[in-house]
Amino acid sequence: MTGDPSGISRRTVIGAGAAALASVALTDLLDISSVFAKPGPTDGVGYFSRFGVTEQLLRNTLSSALSKGGDYADVFFQHRVSNNLGLEDGIVSRANANVGLGVGVRVVKGDQTGYGFTEDITPDGLRRAALTAAVIAEGTPKDGPKRFKITEAKPNRYPVKVRWEDVRPQQKLAMLNSLNEKTFKADERVKKVNMNFMDQGSVVLIADSNGRIVEDVQPMTAMYLSVVAEQNGRRENNSVNRAARSDIGFYTPERLDTMVSEAVKRTMILFDAVQPPAGEMPVVMAAGAAGILLHEAIGHGMEADFNRKNVSIYSDKIGKPVAKPFVSIVDEGTQEGARGAINIDDEGNAVGRTMLVEKGTLTSYLHDSISAKHYGVKPTGNGRRQGYEYAPMPRMRSTYMLPGPHTPEEMIASVKNGIYCEQFSNGQVNIGAGDFTFYVKNGYLIEDGKLTKPVKDINIIGNGPKVLELIDMVGNDLKIDEGGWTCGKDGQSVPVSQGLPTVRVSAITVGGRAEQKG
Amino acid sequence: MAKTTEQDMLAIAQSCIAMAKSAGANDAAARAYRVRDVSLDYRDGKVEKISESTTRGIVIQLYANGRYASGSTSDLRPEALKTFVTDNVTLAKSISPDPFRGLPDAALYKGQSGTDLQLEDPKYTAVTAEEGRRVAKSVHDAARSVKGKEAILSVTSSFSTNLVENWMVTSNGFAGSNRGTSFFISAQVSAKDGDGRRPEEYDYAGSRFWSLVGDMPAIGASAAERTLRRLGSKKGETAAMTVLVDNRAAGRLVGFLAAALQGGNIQQKRSFLEGKAGQQVVSPLVSVTDDPLVVKGFGSRKFDNEGIAAKPRAIFENGVLKSYYIDTYYGRKLKVEPTSGSLSNLSWKLGSKSQKELLSDGKDALLITGFIGGNSNSGTGDFSVGVTGFRVRNGAVAEPVGEMNLSGNHLEFWKKLVAIGNDPFPYSSMRTPTLVFENVSVAGT
Repeated sequence: MTGDPSGISRRTVIGAGAAALASVALTDLLDISSVFAKPGPTDGVGYFSRFGVTEQLLRNTLSSALSKGGDYADVFFQHRVSNNLGLEDGIVSRANANVGLGVGVRVVKGDQTGYGFTEDITPDGLRRAALTAAVIAEGTPKDGPKRFKITEAKPNRYPVKVRWEDVRPQQKLAMLNSLNEKTFKADERVKKVNMNFMDQGSVVLIADSNGRIVEDVQPMTAMYLSVVAEQNGRRENNSVNRAARSDIGFYTPERLDTMVSEAVKRTMILFDAVQPPAGEMPVVMAAGAAGILLHEAIGHGMEADFNRKNVSIYSDKIGKPVAKPFVSIVDEGTQEGARGAINIDDEGNAVGRTMLVEKGTLTSYLHDSISAKHYGVKPTGNGRRQGYEYAPMPRMRSTYMLPGPHTPEEMIASVKNGIYCEQFSNGQVNIGAGDFTFYVKNGYLIEDGKLTKPVKDINIIGNGPKVLELIDMVGNDLKIDEGGWTCGKDGQSVPVSQGLPTVRVSAITVGGRAEQKG
Repeated sequence: MAKTTEQDMLAIAQSCIAMAKSAGANDAAARAYRVRDVSLDYRDGKVEKISESTTRGIVIQLYANGRYASGSTSDLRPEALKTFVTDNVTLAKSISPDPFRGLPDAALYKGQSGTDLQLEDPKYTAVTAEEGRRVAKSVHDAARSVKGKEAILSVTSSFSTNLVENWMVTSNGFAGSNRGTSFFISAQVSAKDGDGRRPEEYDYAGSRFWSLVGDMPAIGASAAERTLRRLGSKKGETAAMTVLVDNRAAGRLVGFLAAALQGGNIQQKRSFLEGKAGQQVVSPLVSVTDDPLVVKGFGSRKFDNEGIAAKPRAIFENGVLKSYYIDTYYGRKLKVEPTSGSLSNLSWKLGSKSQKELLSDGKDALLITGFIGGNSNSGTGDFSVGVTGFRVRNGAVAEPVGEMNLSGNHLEFWKKLVAIGNDPFPYSSMRTPTLVFENVSVAGT
């Protein structure tokens, strides 16, 4: 326990390393077959009825939550089962299963939030959590909802053919063992291979004091493959990962083979890589994972909680030009199977596409219901949370830039001395000052318009609005990355996606090696 | 199970061992935990958020036929728990055997210190959310009262407390429990700067005892002053220069070293410190002990998460690497005795000078007060991190700088450490003092 609450000023994104992966699936605890079984007009509780949850219990809980006069209350039930398998030194000898079952109760009064949660799903446990949350208000009791209305026509953005709990461990083991073997075979310099495989099923039920009730079943899977290689007594390491809200069908032979070849290639090239010179220079961001630039440079700053608190560098910029006219940036949760896709957000709101920047002009923040009410706009479906232990807040889903008029070739050719950035591990931003960073695992020097020496392990730092202005070329080759990106904010982690066409930034600070004395 | 008592939690942990054995496990470890959290945020004149909860659950580790699985659950209904444990044994049996998996040698459980670590404030329950509201308001008000307050845009002060309880048992004879409280106060302040920038800074203090958190309004004032000092921050020039790392910030750099000391990284050929025990790897000024027995320490413990009795041990002595962080599994793989796989508290051999005195020694330097992003490759030692701080000119703190990077390789970087402060940071288990490095790469304009 370091007890460092300095996380309050930090918003980060990390790639799916071992630490980022929650965990993967064997048990049949999570039998989701009954989720949408007969949610009739009198009882909208499907899956959670097995835990004794009824509409009456929900009404009573919401009444307790409003017993001190909050404006609004909601409950968030979650049952999640995740499974991990770890491969190391040639064998899968680590298995891990985690189960979370609990409910959070939230009471909102204006911009103010009261929150309590419990794992004790009984009338008494729920009442106590509700009364805890209720204290945010200090007025006369309000009634809970008389009846619930089931949200109709919810999209299905993560269709699953085979449920993870129906996949035998042997099938996953065979996949990991085969990948391990292929990775060693790909290059004799490979000395160590590590893998982590995760699958997860989460069922949520959200009911609120307006009488809305909705359930969703949210699958997730991720595979992480890392390599250590040796050459002439030197070692290098690198990794690849893939993640999706999908079933085992996601792991096609082609996708797995690509993971192996990428992991090996990205590691071996490091033997020839240098740390570039330090200082300001033009940078070309490769299509795909370089979307991390948007996540940090603008995404977090557009989360409306920071703006209603007046602490974001974007707080007074809506409607103003922030970038060249060929720059349009979106955040959406609609791409089928994407890690950042969601059918509904964690407040039960519909999820679509939100334009952050349209043709160079700042258009919309990312809202949860509190900020939407504050600004008098509709929620954008960005109210998300890590789990039942946490109150929701505005979070990104899948953030990317729309394609532009330039080609990747002309961008590289246009740079005399600069860096081409291909692969990334993590980033961070200070919301108010606007300074943000991203860490480059692989890239190249650009010299006289050509990619030359590979580069590695460099941090790049810029200022959000300044860098947006300095994006002076946007490619026609948008790519959404399939990596297992996890976004951290105020101690909560949520899965996100990101993407980018090839983009040129005319000047940004590259953290290479400065000339040293002596 | 409405309210779980202490006896209930210990009994649940014990029942998991019994269920695991009857499901076919040869060995098992179980830890039951309960955590009570109370937190309150106060922003710009009113409560922003209040949150209270008690969470509890079970963490198990199972060994069956030379195979291993672990798991955790918050669903403690007896029938669900039984299914969970049984399924976990089935899971273990389905994967590959591994001769290195197993519980620690029971001899390592013995020899726990008799020191009274004083980790629990007996007055914990008296420190309510209402008290938190009063304190958070005073912290907020202090931030709003500093000289230059007109530039302040927003102040959020926070109060948080927790009580953590653990009950751990293993099938080879370990039984132990621990309890600890902690209390933290913090403030985050944003101010208006040129160019639409809204720089923010924070400060915080904490203790295992409420009465020892200290002068709380001073935290608010300090957060505001820190923020106001950042106004007008610019990018400095690219150079190799002397760098002072503030004691609060230095933990980030030490964490990079700690990653390379992990048994897993060493065995998996991902540590630039592999094979370097007994060698001089950092400046001779560095003598650091991992000390789990610090009275009232945030990382203090009598046994680690495997049950191994905790003892102080040298990590670096005059710059020479003395020991790693090795748990039972990697100890067996590496054929060495386990030391403990995780950091407790760090105790540094301190220098004689305060940060102010160290600053006055550095005619022209950079004072790093915060890191942003960046990363470190524990295999090669290459690192690169974003930094914010101040230029130091003629021995005094001068203008604020930001949007810069510090880069290097740990095997070279830590040898450039030329001075250590007398100021261990009290609110983190790493307890880092101010560190001074000479001739290191900083990238800016």
